[in-house]
Amino acid sequence: MTNNEITVKVDHVTKTFGEFTAVKDLSLEVRPGRIFGLLGPNGAGKSTTIRMIVNITAPDTGSISLFGRKISSQLQDRIGYLPEERGLYKSMKVSEQLRFFAQLKNVSGKDADQRIDRWLAQLKISEWKLKKTRELSKGMQQKVQFISAVLHDPDLLILDEPFSGLDPVNVDLLTDVVLELKRTGKTIIFSTHQMNIAEKICDDICLLNRSQKVLEGSIREVKKRFGRNSVALRIEGGNGSLTTSDLISKIEHHSDEMEVLLAPDADPQVFLKQLINSGAAVTKFEMVEPSLHDIFIEKVSEAR
Amino acid sequence: MNKLLAIVKREYTQRVRARMFIVTTVLLPFAMAMFGIAPALVLSIESGTPMRVVVLDGTGKIFGRLRGYLQAEPEPATQDEGNPTARNNPIEKARQESFVLEQASTVGSSATQVQADLERRLGAKEIDAYLLLPPDVLQSGRAQFFRRNTSDLISTRRIQEALDSAIREQRLIDAHVDQQTMTNLARSVDFETTRISGAGTERDSGGGFILVFAGGFLMYISVLLYGQVVLGAVIEEKETRIAEVLFSSVRPFTLMMGKLLGVSLVALTQLAIWGLAFGAFALYGVNVLASKGIPTHMPAVPLMFFVYFVLFFLLGYFVYSTLYALIGSVVTTAQEGGQLAFPIIILLVISFYLFLPVSRNPDSTLSFWLSMIPFFAPVSMLVRIVTQTPPFWQIALSLVIGFSTAALLTWVASRIYRVGMLMYGKRPSIPELFRWVRQS
Repeated sequence: MTNNEITVKVDHVTKTFGEFTAVKDLSLEVRPGRIFGLLGPNGAGKSTTIRMIVNITAPDTGSISLFGRKISSQLQDRIGYLPEERGLYKSMKVSEQLRFFAQLKNVSGKDADQRIDRWLAQLKISEWKLKKTRELSKGMQQKVQFISAVLHDPDLLILDEPFSGLDPVNVDLLTDVVLELKRTGKTIIFSTHQMNIAEKICDDICLLNRSQKVLEGSIREVKKRFGRNSVALRIEGGNGSLTTSDLISKIEHHSDEMEVLLAPDADPQVFLKQLINSGAAVTKFEMVEPSLHDIFIEKVSEAR
Repeated sequence: MNKLLAIVKREYTQRVRARMFIVTTVLLPFAMAMFGIAPALVLSIESGTPMRVVVLDGTGKIFGRLRGYLQAEPEPATQDEGNPTARNNPIEKARQESFVLEQASTVGSSATQVQADLERRLGAKEIDAYLLLPPDVLQSGRAQFFRRNTSDLISTRRIQEALDSAIREQRLIDAHVDQQTMTNLARSVDFETTRISGAGTERDSGGGFILVFAGGFLMYISVLLYGQVVLGAVIEEKETRIAEVLFSSVRPFTLMMGKLLGVSLVALTQLAIWGLAFGAFALYGVNVLASKGIPTHMPAVPLMFFVYFVLFFLLGYFVYSTLYALIGSVVTTAQEGGQLAFPIIILLVISFYLFLPVSRNPDSTLSFWLSMIPFFAPVSMLVRIVTQTPPFWQIALSLVIGFSTAALLTWVASRIYRVGMLMYGKRPSIPELFRWVRQS
């Protein structure tokens, strides 16, 4: 894969603030047209990494390139950025504010006005167009800021915890918008520590912990790598076979079912046959994939 | 460039539209007018209860004159002093109505008896004071004044001055000096200064100095008023966390420059409004005076002085505003910034007082160097220009150094701002600041 086909390339980047190393020897590649999840616990270095990508701060060592070119202030116009720290001018009207942010990305006033109307309608806040920001609820402000990040039709959209503080209806609304943007060929970097959302929308992920990368790849690969060969099981009768079977390494009992962790090289089909032969009535037998949440917890606690 | 304009425009429109701007624009000239009118008002309030003074005039010649000076009513003064229009002036009126003079009768009683009687009346609050003029007061020049409230220095002094004048006049009359000679002798000196420049002699009634004072004062006022606004503008995005979005779109220097220019345009707008209002009033005032036959003349000031005046005013304004921007980039709250801004005010005041040494010796080495230092240049160089205009290259150099310094300070502030924004909470140390300027 050549550089031109990579939207963002972070190459052996280190960033320190005084004594504190925020990002340590980080390399990652974001491919075009995909949603890239930058995951990790609080303070892992996600925001610092993003700030270096959007050219707010420069790495101490290593390099970052965007669209195959070295990061520069010209390239900033092709990035849309929704930072985790939300902020809008409190006494400006929504439309004024959005036009200002669009102009900072070199969008002409006339173009901006059309786009503002379209986006406000899409996010269902058109009636707030002429209201001052301080009159808006927190959720609405967040939508306004989301619009400010996409108004200039950026090729790369960086969203830092875009859904925090939103109600489920609005989370769904914004999720749809993000997926729609992806369909139109935009590349999206999505930073979060909410694994359930990342699991739903990310194509690729990179897990940071304590300033370092601990895991990366497509969600599929990652999950496969963490496949633990476990079965969610609900049976009636035939309990004897569970205690005697040498295919089982561990059993966890939940409320009305159990999770059976099979021995590393055991074949689940053989285990199922064993169960049936033992006379048990199987009402649920499901191969369990590890959730991103489990992987996250496992990798992060490993480090401690 | 578009981005810079967008920032300038936002800063400008947001502020000019704010209620605060409209209020201060209207209120400040009003407050200034109040300063002018208030003393007259206060005096007229005082005149409601005139001070009752009894005079025991041993000579029998002084009382009439004294009353002429201190009291207009009930009977007009023996002779009309000074300007006839002064009688209609409310302040002048208040001055005269604040005393009621009464001559103590000495018929049939000794001086000691009269004094004892006056003492009693003073105690009974029938009178406020009494004045003893012994028969030889014209020779000895010694008089005694008794009053209840000795802390009222103003009226005591006024009585003293009036007595001085009355006695002086009486002495002149006794020396057979006629009224005409007396008026001629009392005429004050018409003091006219003339400025010698290389081009020759020209008349200068201090118009240049008025310009320098106006410049210094204007700079002082606008820095005081708008320095805080610059500070607030720089901190605004830090407090609202907008800085991060802005820095993902514009260079810090563009942002900082845009803010400075935007706020400065607001300041200039306000000054222009005040200037026009003041100009209109002044014109009106001159017309009124002219219609009453009082001659007024505008000080003659070469046009070039006005050009320099504007340039150096702008220089001073920008140099000091960038200092505020610098402080804004370091601190996290406006309150903290206000405390740190105090040294700027001190610097400003010092630069104002340098007026004195520079005007005394405008061509000295000290004056030269002061007028090259950006923080002192605005006042110092203006003083030099109006006193002994230095060679053009010095003026140009001073302007170049000054504006470059302002640009450099803006750049430094923007570097500090960008790094500082990422580290919320703690104020950086000086070495840290230097590191921030170098990195980022």
